[in-house]
Amino acid sequence: MIGALPLAAIPPEDEALRPEIRAFLQEAVGEIPPERRARSWMGFDPGFSRKLAGRGWLGLTFPKEYGGAGRGAFARYVLVEELLAAGAPVSAHWIADRQSGPLIQRFGTEEQRRFYLPRICRAEAFFCIGMSEPNTGSDLASVTTRAVREGDGWRLNGAKIWTTNAQHSHYMIALVRTSGAPGDRHKGLSQIIVDLHAPGVRISPIRDLAGDAHFSEVVFEDVLLPGDALIGEEGSGWMQVNAELAFERSGPERVLSSAVLLDEWANWLREVGAGEAAEALLGRLIAHLAVLRAMSIAVTGRLVEGESPIVEAALVKDLGTEFEQMIPTVIAETLARPGLVAPGSLMRTLAYTAAIAPSFSLRGGTREILRGMIARGMGLR
Amino acid sequence: MDSLLVRSAQELFSRHASSEAVRAIRAGGSPGSLWGELENSGFLDALVPEEAGGIGLGPAEALPVLIAAGRFAVPLPLGETMLARAVLGGAGEAVPQGAILLGEAYGDAARVPAFARADWVLLPRDEAALLLPAGAAVEDEAAGSPLGRVLRWPEGAGRRVPAGDLLVAGAWAEIAVMAGAMERILEDTVRHAQDRQQFGRPVASFQAVQQQISVMTEDVFASRMAAQLASVADGDGVARLNPVRIAAAKLRVGEAAVRVAAIGHAVHGAMGITEEVDLHLLTGHLQAGRMRFGGEAHWGAWLGRRFLADNTGETLAFVRAQLGPAAPEASA
Ligand SMILES: Cc1cc2nc3c(=O)[nH]c(=O)nc-3n(C[C@H](O)[C@H](O)[C@H](O)COP(=O)(O)OP(=O)(O)OC[C@H]3O[C@@H](n4cnc5c(N)ncnc54)[C@H](O)[C@@H]3O)c2cc1C
Repeated sequence: MIGALPLAAIPPEDEALRPEIRAFLQEAVGEIPPERRARSWMGFDPGFSRKLAGRGWLGLTFPKEYGGAGRGAFARYVLVEELLAAGAPVSAHWIADRQSGPLIQRFGTEEQRRFYLPRICRAEAFFCIGMSEPNTGSDLASVTTRAVREGDGWRLNGAKIWTTNAQHSHYMIALVRTSGAPGDRHKGLSQIIVDLHAPGVRISPIRDLAGDAHFSEVVFEDVLLPGDALIGEEGSGWMQVNAELAFERSGPERVLSSAVLLDEWANWLREVGAGEAAEALLGRLIAHLAVLRAMSIAVTGRLVEGESPIVEAALVKDLGTEFEQMIPTVIAETLARPGLVAPGSLMRTLAYTAAIAPSFSLRGGTREILRGMIARGMGLR
Repeated sequence: MDSLLVRSAQELFSRHASSEAVRAIRAGGSPGSLWGELENSGFLDALVPEEAGGIGLGPAEALPVLIAAGRFAVPLPLGETMLARAVLGGAGEAVPQGAILLGEAYGDAARVPAFARADWVLLPRDEAALLLPAGAAVEDEAAGSPLGRVLRWPEGAGRRVPAGDLLVAGAWAEIAVMAGAMERILEDTVRHAQDRQQFGRPVASFQAVQQQISVMTEDVFASRMAAQLASVADGDGVARLNPVRIAAAKLRVGEAAVRVAAIGHAVHGAMGITEEVDLHLLTGHLQAGRMRFGGEAHWGAWLGRRFLADNTGETLAFVRAQLGPAAPEASA
């Protein structure tokens, strides 16, 4: 069975970053209306990403020799926490900074590191993740997109779907089959970097239920890729993807997706006053936030110590997304009173958050899949 | 230090707080031998300041001992006695022998847990407290229930002593014990699911059961974290407990207790409804603990008001400033 998470704190040298970030954000996002800031890490704005890059805040954890700041996971924690709480539009660089860059750093060749990492730090290379396919969701090992050796390079055929930002990105890191058949499951899978401007790549944005088009379907038809498109070892795609997902599951983005709505509502209560019932709800949400944040920091502490707390991360994500989904639910409940006059911006922020909230427990692994991982950690399967 | 303390607590309880011993005390038997062990262990003076002759530990160091007590469903007020001794010792008052319960005002009477046995009750009264001998109390049977007995003393009974915020102190002890009880329920539930066979296989192999136990696991981990957050000593109350932390933790642990008890019972099936299986000692404690020293609605509204009256800004800033994993001076 998994053991309790000891309390961990953000080191003072990383906390020290916070005032500068907050001052920057006040100026950079203060004027954006809350219903836009509510897009959280789905808000796309390359100009904003370039501004962050100008501050040296992209690739904060990448080594200095590749253009990064050489800071630890807790420095990035502080940065991300402030960005998300403010509702800054971080989506353009988000995946490259959180996932693709660290993956390239860990599994890439020296040439790949020298090529991609500095570009990520300058906000010149945006990435997307090509895992899901039309017939491959939770059962990721069933991917059928295939890269076949051709000369020194690869020929790629297949399709990816739900790819966040594919239409705006420069590169996709795709999980593809490089040998064997779908029945071989996780054997024969590899990760490959696809230049999305290569001939044969067709990207069709998909409109979401909130009216945005943040994800796409991506079809590959005889896309020819150079040999160095392969990232990591051929056949190690499954292991690499899982290492990647552990980092993706326990950060502040699994707690703060509804933070803008929560603060809009709380600020409004501060202005107009709250009754006992609204106070109790607010207190409840704050209590959950505090506990989740401490859990998320504790898991980060384990990652920093070089451990691989996969089950604990799954646990934080499931609880965190439940909290994120609870926020629009309970706020809607308190605002649904006959005759109540609430600001339009609050109602628009609520409408967006309530509409998109079901996605919180799908992206990055569904609730049921995470609970299956926890059950395995508890020795039940 | 920490793990030594935990190990000796666990050893003490496994030797002297077996299921039979706990049941015997609950049924009215003498708690003398278990209490004697607790007195000898030194745990009782853990929170008493060193200058007052105690060990001078903080709540974070004492927490694992109370979690262990919760796991064993110890029917004695260990945490409450530790806190009461810290209050009395810290104020230079004489500290009586024996177990001390923190009572909650019930009109002019005191409400105390139904199964906990004690020699004294410390009851808040007009900005101070009364230290009352349990033996002199008259029980108000009509007002009592398994969720709490109601005790009354003759006018003028007891010794008036200065006291800090006993509601906050008592809530901390409950938070710790409830977190421990939930850990044990989780372990018992996992074991039961693995042992119990239906349809030719362990019920643990059914996905519906696995998913429920996963939800329980999440609540147990969250409760442990809430208890740890509550034990950061950056307040100015008893043992430097901070009411903001206590509010958040009592609320979170109370919510968890409902789900953990429900899932524990669901997975145990009819076996969990029996008197024979320990589950009800633990879930009964969760139900009673949830109702002591303020529940979710009380602390939620308190915390909500506190946030609204504060000018820190957004919720995350408030949480960072007042509910972080370390005392503010340590992370500044
Ligand atoms: C906003 C958003 C952005 C996304 N961005 C990306 C992206 O950038 N790149 C990318 O590759 N993907 C992305 N995805 C896709 C996401 O990873 C998938 O939605 C997710 O993996 C689930 O797959 P699915 O939607 O096909 O659901 P399915 O796998 O078809 O699941 C349907 C239901 O069945 C349940 N289920 C499935 N298998 C089991 C099982 N074994 N036991 C119990 N229940 C089960 C699921 O929990 C779910 O409730 C995104 C999704 C969303 C919502």
